[in-house]
Amino acid sequence: MKRRKNKQAKEPIDFQIVKRRIWRDRYMYLMVLPVLTYFIIFKYLPMWWLRIAFYDYKILKGFSGSKFVGLDNFRVFLSNPDFLQILWNTLWLNILNLAFVFTAPILFALLLNELSHRRFKKTVQTISYLPHFLSMVVVTSMITTFLSPSLGVLNGIIKSMGGETIHFLGQPKYFRSIMTISGIWQGVGWGSIIYLSALSGIDQEQYEAAVVDGASRFQQIRHITFPGMQGTIVIMLILQIGNLLSVGFEKVYLLQNAQNMGVSEVLSTYVYKMGMQNSNYSLATAVGLFNSIISFALVLFANHMSKKYSDSGLI
Amino acid sequence: MAIVNENSKTEKAFDIFNVIFMILLCIAFIYPVLNVLAISLSGSAPILRGEVTFYPKDLDFSGYKNVLGNSHIWRSYANTIFVAGVGCVLSLAMTCLAAYPMAFGDFYGKKLYSYMILFTMWFSGGLIPTYLVMTKLNLIDSHWALILNFLCAPYYVIVLKSFFQSIPDSLIESAKLDGANDFVCMIKIVLPLSKPALATIALWIIVAHWNDFIGPLMYLNKRSLYTLQVLLNDIVLQASGAMYEMSDAVQAGDGSMTIPQQVQNAVIFASMVPMLIIYPFVQKYFVKGVMLGSVKG
Repeated sequence: MKRRKNKQAKEPIDFQIVKRRIWRDRYMYLMVLPVLTYFIIFKYLPMWWLRIAFYDYKILKGFSGSKFVGLDNFRVFLSNPDFLQILWNTLWLNILNLAFVFTAPILFALLLNELSHRRFKKTVQTISYLPHFLSMVVVTSMITTFLSPSLGVLNGIIKSMGGETIHFLGQPKYFRSIMTISGIWQGVGWGSIIYLSALSGIDQEQYEAAVVDGASRFQQIRHITFPGMQGTIVIMLILQIGNLLSVGFEKVYLLQNAQNMGVSEVLSTYVYKMGMQNSNYSLATAVGLFNSIISFALVLFANHMSKKYSDSGLI
Repeated sequence: MAIVNENSKTEKAFDIFNVIFMILLCIAFIYPVLNVLAISLSGSAPILRGEVTFYPKDLDFSGYKNVLGNSHIWRSYANTIFVAGVGCVLSLAMTCLAAYPMAFGDFYGKKLYSYMILFTMWFSGGLIPTYLVMTKLNLIDSHWALILNFLCAPYYVIVLKSFFQSIPDSLIESAKLDGANDFVCMIKIVLPLSKPALATIALWIIVAHWNDFIGPLMYLNKRSLYTLQVLLNDIVLQASGAMYEMSDAVQAGDGSMTIPQQVQNAVIFASMVPMLIIYPFVQKYFVKGVMLGSVKG
C-alpha cells in the first residue's frame, strides 16, 4: 500500500515535460537571471560576510590570516555595561514611538474624517504630508534652529515669559521628547493615509441607520468609524513590533552630541561608530547580527500573530 | 464621516474646535519651512536677535549670492541629480524585471525566487558586511555604490507585483498566442497599463535618493563626490562651511567661527526646493502607492 502511494507521487515527474516547460519559460528565466545575480551579490554576499562576527577580522589579512574566535565578540559586547544602556536606549525610543508616533496618525485620521468641508480637508491633508518629503538633515537643522538657546523660537517664548533659556539639545533629559515630538511632526500626515483609505470604505448608510437609532456623533465615531479601521490598526501594530529593535539611524546620529550620548546612543549608531570610525569590523558585525537575529525573530512572531488574528500572514 | 446633529451644541463646539486645531496643525507643518526661507532672506542683525519668524526682516540676498556663486554646492547638486536620475531609471527597470515573473510567471523555482527576494526584507547582512562587500567590489568613493545598494527594493517589487496582478491574465495569454515573448508582453502590454504604479515608484526612488544621508556618509569620502545631504550636514550641522569657501566666517556668540545664518539657511532651502516643488503634484501618486502597498503582497 505504502509502496504504491510512493510510486504515484513520483510518477508525474516526466523529464520531457520538465524540459518543455523550462524551454517554454526561457524568457522568464532570462528576466530572473539579472535580478537574482543582483540579489546574490548585493544582498546575500553580505550575509555570507556576517561570519566575520566569529573572527577577529583584519581587513588587510583577509579570512585566512584572521583568527577564528567563536563567540568571543558576542561575549565582549554582552558583558559590557554600556551595551545594556544602548539596548535600553533603543527600546525606550521604540516604546515612545509606539505610544505616540504610532497612535498620532490614528487620531489625526479620525479628526480629519470629521471635517465636513471637502476642500479644506484635502488642503489639510496635502500640507500634512510636507514634512515627510524633507530629509533628516533638513529636519535636524530645523530642530536645531527651533531649539537654539540664542536664536530659537521656543527659547524666545520662554524668555518673554520671564524664564531662563534652556539648552534643549545639550541636556540628556530632553532627547527622547525631541525625538518623539519631531517623529510625530514628520509622520502624522503620511501615516494617516492608510487609515483614511480604510475609512473611505465605510458605508455612509451605517451612519444614517445609527442616526435613526438616535446615536450621537461621538457614538457614531466610537461604534462605526473606529471599528472601521481596527483591522488596519492591528496590522500596522504587528508590523511595528517587528521593528522594535531598529531605530532609524539618521536622525539619532544627527541629533547626537557629547552631552546627550548617554541616552542617544542606540544599536545602529553604535554599529556605525564601531565599524566605520574604529574599524572594529568584527565587533560591529557581531552587534549588527545580534540585532538582526532578534528583529527577525520578532518579525516571525508578528507574522504568527497576524495569521492568528486575520488568517493571513504578512510574509 | 459621522452625521452631525444640527441641534447639539457640543457637536457644534467640537466642529469649531476641530477646524481650529487643524489650522494650528497646518501652521505647525509649514512654519519651520517658512522660518528657513525667512532666515535665508534676512539681515544678520534681526537673525542674531532671534526676531525672524515666518517673514524676512531687513531683506538681504547675500545668502543666495553665496550659494549660487559656490562651485561646491553646484557640484553636489549635479552629483545628487546624477545619483537620483540614473538610480531612478535603473531601479525602475530592475523592479519591473523582478516583479513581472512574480506576477505572471508559472515556472519551476518561482516560489524559491519570490522567497529569496522577500527574505531580504526581513533579514540582511547589515551595515558593516555590506560596506565590506562594496569595498571588495571597489565601489567606495563611487556614486555607483549608492545606486547599486538601492537598485531593487523588495517593498517596491511587491507593490509593483500587486499592481501587475490586477492586469487580466487573458491579455498576456492572447498576446502569447500571437507569438509574443515575455519581454514583448511586458513592454507592449503590462508597462503601458501600469503607468500610475511606475510613476509612484519612480518618485519614491527619486525622493529616497535625494534625501539619502547614510549612504553617502558611508560610501563617499571625497568632497568632490558629495551629494547634497552630506554637504548640508557639513555646512549646517558640523558648522564647517569654511571648508567649502562658503563666505567669510563670522564670530559666533561662544567665540567659535561660523558662517552666517542666512547662508546656512539658503543652502538648506536650496536643497529642498526640488522636493517642495514636486510634492504637491505627486502626492496623489504617492497616496495611491501607499494604498497599493497595503494590499497584501
